[in-house]
Amino acid sequence: MKKVISYITFFVLIPAVTVGGALIFRDRQYAWITLCVALLSCIPFFLHFEHRADVKRLVTVAVMTALSVLGRIIFTPIPAFKPVAAFVIITAMYFGGEAGFLVGSLSAVISNFWFGQGPWTPFQMFSWGLIGLVAGFLSEPMKKSRIVLIIYSILAGVSYSLMTDIWTVLWADGYFNISRYLAALVSALPFTAVYALSNVVFLLIFARPIGKILERIKVKYAL
Amino acid sequence: MKAFGSFHPAVLLTYFVAIIGIFMFASNPVMRVTALLGGILFCLLLQKKREIPGNLGFYIPLFLLVAVTNPLFSHAGVTPLFFLNGNPVTLEASVYGVFLAVTVIGVMMWCKCYSEIMTGDKFLYLFGSIVPKLSLTLSMAFRFLPLFVRRMKTVTTARRGLGLYSQRGFVDRIKGTGQVFLSVISWSLENAMETSMSMRARAYGKAKRTSFSLFRFTMRDGVMIFVTLLLFALTVTGMASGATDFFFYPRIGELSLSPLAVTAYSSFAILAFLPFVIEVRGALLWRYYISRI
Repeated sequence: MKKVISYITFFVLIPAVTVGGALIFRDRQYAWITLCVALLSCIPFFLHFEHRADVKRLVTVAVMTALSVLGRIIFTPIPAFKPVAAFVIITAMYFGGEAGFLVGSLSAVISNFWFGQGPWTPFQMFSWGLIGLVAGFLSEPMKKSRIVLIIYSILAGVSYSLMTDIWTVLWADGYFNISRYLAALVSALPFTAVYALSNVVFLLIFARPIGKILERIKVKYAL
Repeated sequence: MKAFGSFHPAVLLTYFVAIIGIFMFASNPVMRVTALLGGILFCLLLQKKREIPGNLGFYIPLFLLVAVTNPLFSHAGVTPLFFLNGNPVTLEASVYGVFLAVTVIGVMMWCKCYSEIMTGDKFLYLFGSIVPKLSLTLSMAFRFLPLFVRRMKTVTTARRGLGLYSQRGFVDRIKGTGQVFLSVISWSLENAMETSMSMRARAYGKAKRTSFSLFRFTMRDGVMIFVTLLLFALTVTGMASGATDFFFYPRIGELSLSPLAVTAYSSFAILAFLPFVIEVRGALLWRYYISRI
């Protein structure tokens, strides 16, 4: 049943929202359509988790989410220098991409209870979730080589910025204004750099030691 | 002062979905400005007094930024005001910029009110029955936050007791904090694993679980949800018939004042100012009761 629902969201609802939104709201309301799509694309992961997760997995995801939110709260004074993406990547490396997606998207929901919920919440959920999901595919090479880890953490920072700026432009203009997008990217360049830098710093410092802890837990409790 | 917040979570969610939903899709200046005003008034009541100046310092520049940048990036429209670097700055784009700024700030205002009113417990209560595991995960994560902060303090104190501390500069302190953090991670994970085993021993996930909550759906909630849905329906009817359509490009359109459009405007205005009125009424009642003691 849940599987059916998740297929429906993917193959029916998302195109329906896109096409329907474009037809009904001729007034260039792409921002809201993208928002709905971002939210809908999280649903299959949530449903799969709801259906499949055992207690151990559930608790692990809760702990990793709390840690990444805690990191975001601790680093509030330094703008954009946040360990959230790093935690999402570490989770994905050791518990798989799906756990990474969940930790990313749940961290966005929870931390925004402090930092303010808004129309950007679904985009953050989606962006951090996606960073985690992709990290899951690259987990083996990232564990083996530091260079891959550094490259991915830079890419994650840059793509986070790219994705959130799509939202900025759609929100401000109602349609995808390429010149504003480029302007937004340029003005966000320092932030992008800090995102990437914070990812690299946190991953270089924490990936190995936290990885050791997670490996040990996995062996000890047969995860 | 949260008279509005005392409604049932389902009522509150319906209200916020209705107002933000209309706000998103109604491209009509009257409705957007009404919603912005309603949002600002509601927000003023919910905020702590000392937070207000800081917020003004954030939202007013943002408003100006959005309003000013639109005509610089968008050259649509037929009435050029002046030329900048060979590109026309048009009247339409400038007006649309102000409209966008109203939208952006308005949505932010309503989301701020949403965050104030829909606290974590209400959110979890609503979704607990639909996605029980996911909401359990969320509520555990919420609970872990203060717990982890406390554990970090405990570990720091213990390390200090062992003589493992340093004030020899920044790098050393960071290193120390990192070590505390790592030990809290492993402590918390081990602890969480024990929690999970204990949950499994109590047959978690084998049957449907009940949960405790203080929320009850009363007559008052029923009336409120009916009023919300009625106003929502009236507004949406106006919008769907096209009476409230408004165009900025290529030339600024005329505002429709047909009966249908006026009904939509006024019912949306009532909807937007409803929380403000309820809050003020609650505050006045409270004053009155206090004066009787």
